Amino acid sequence: MASIAFEGVSKVFDDGTRAVDELDLQIPDGEFTILVGPSGSGKSTALRMLAGLEETTSGEISIGSRVVTDVAPKDRDIAMVFQSYALYPHMSVAENMGFALKLQKVPKDDVRARVASAASRLGIGELLERRPKALSGGQRQRVALGRAIVRSPEAFLMDEPLSNLDAKLRVEMRAYIARLHQELGTTTLYVTHDQTEAMTMGDRVAVMRDGRLEQVDTPQALYERPANVFVAGFIGSPAMNLLRGVASEAGVMLGTQRLAVRTPHRGEVIVGIRPEALEPAGEDGPDVLSLRVVLSEMLGSDVLLHLEAPTSSVLTGDMLDTPDEELVDDTTRFVARVPPSFRADPGVHVHLRVDLDRVHLFDPETERVIPR
Amino acid sequence: MSARLVNRGLDALTWLVLALMLSPILWLVLSSLQTDGQLSRGAYDLLSPTFDAFTRMWQSVDFERYLLNSLIICTAAALCATAFAACAGYALARFQFRGGKALSLGVVGTQLIPGSLFLLPVFMGFVWLKQNTPIALFDTHLGMVLVYTAFFTPVAIYFMRYFFIAIPRDLEEAAMVDGCNRFGAFVKIVLPAAAPGLVATFVYAFLFAWDELLFVAALTQENAETIPIGIRNFIGNYQERTAQLMAAGVVSTLPVLIAFFATQRWLVKGITAGAVKG
Repeated sequence: MASIAFEGVSKVFDDGTRAVDELDLQIPDGEFTILVGPSGSGKSTALRMLAGLEETTSGEISIGSRVVTDVAPKDRDIAMVFQSYALYPHMSVAENMGFALKLQKVPKDDVRARVASAASRLGIGELLERRPKALSGGQRQRVALGRAIVRSPEAFLMDEPLSNLDAKLRVEMRAYIARLHQELGTTTLYVTHDQTEAMTMGDRVAVMRDGRLEQVDTPQALYERPANVFVAGFIGSPAMNLLRGVASEAGVMLGTQRLAVRTPHRGEVIVGIRPEALEPAGEDGPDVLSLRVVLSEMLGSDVLLHLEAPTSSVLTGDMLDTPDEELVDDTTRFVARVPPSFRADPGVHVHLRVDLDRVHLFDPETERVIPR
Repeated sequence: MSARLVNRGLDALTWLVLALMLSPILWLVLSSLQTDGQLSRGAYDLLSPTFDAFTRMWQSVDFERYLLNSLIICTAAALCATAFAACAGYALARFQFRGGKALSLGVVGTQLIPGSLFLLPVFMGFVWLKQNTPIALFDTHLGMVLVYTAFFTPVAIYFMRYFFIAIPRDLEEAAMVDGCNRFGAFVKIVLPAAAPGLVATFVYAFLFAWDELLFVAALTQENAETIPIGIRNFIGNYQERTAQLMAAGVVSTLPVLIAFFATQRWLVKGITAGAVKG
């Protein structure tokens, strides 16, 4: 096991695309770090540079005390799980799992024992003689994991390993991988575009956008204290409501409605309110928003109310998969998570009290958080 | 007319076309089991076949030599073409290098030129080498292997390039992380995964070389003559050995049929299924 460090690492492709821009990221020994971001954010490229499958344009990558920037993949002592599983089609499960050990010239009996032990840990002991094509998606996933853990490498690299599984299996494997990490304690860098995976699995989450690192912190801290509009909008499901408002001495105005948020900032702001920071209020009053219901979604444990926003709301371009546009206005987007007992039909106005301690303010120019 | 009837009609048509296409082979086999006399009179006696022609064909013409020459030359040429094509096809499929696209295009472009145009230059080259150097290519196995290898390599490269493109890059990257260098990943992972492509390319080159007559007629005299020449030798000015000719036809078709049936599993379906999510 070892720590991992990216120091000022950049990747510029031949066509001039800057996929990763001055990445600085330290992963302590034994930590499970998630690299999350929308497609094209450079997270996979960063992982591939760590694996040695992509050359580094500038900067330095270390595994443990060893600088590996120019070291061949085979000499980095890492194991990688691919999105496509990348199982060798002409080899049995046992041969797939033992391939790396065989290359290391580990004695045959040892290989067999280590493969059997990893296979029983993963619950694939009875599949060892099968070929990959005779396995289900979930089984292939486990074999790919087995191929990684059988080597006891310095670090695990995982490139969206769950994205080819169906929803149910994905939830199951998510917990499984997290538990596996707890048992093995191997340093892991896990790439995903799914913020739910990021929030549930990692010790720390690094959010990337356009090749740059936006914020690194624990899942809880990212959720509670996003550093900018992008992280605020990306982390959390449903996403944080981001509205255009105006800050003054009296507080923040959202259209005609006022929230008594204290801030030294004056002028236009972006106001971030999580769907969970709203609760039904009996009647209009201070810090209560009166909003018209567009749609009510019953989830069993909660109800998601889709409401007409009091002022134009902001979506970051990445949230809409239109990376060219930075911020897009949409007047109707506002979501509240309320208890299932709260019923509201479309068209009616509801009163929702805002928890002011959980309101985030962002500078519309820099998109960075405004300290309160 | 019901759809079922139409389907039946189409089925019958398919069988009819198949029967028409296979009828020359049937005729070949049946004729090889008759005597020359029966064949010249057209009086086939299907109920009392004779293997006489199959035994005599080896004596009247040295067919064993032709068969052996064919096997040596075609196998060697197909092996060489496949090996070269595997390396070149992999490079063209995976690496970006200056002139790579032009090279790919050039490989396809060679197929636009009629092969017979090369006959005279190759012939003259062989003769020149024989007269001026100790390199013996005219009427040698090596000469024919070189010619056929040169002929089939471009199209084999074209084949292999597509087979390699279809193999996910993740496979060799996984191998490289597992401890292979690039060449190791190519040999241990990519080539086995491309086995159906290798087999198809080999069989293709082998079958073409097996049938080739023009070049072998011009570039060989005695030592390196192959089956197409041998078959021709059954017909002489003063002899009629039609039954033996037919028997030689059957014998020379056998390796081709064996090659096809032995490899058809590989030719038809790939083994890459299941390597990545499918």
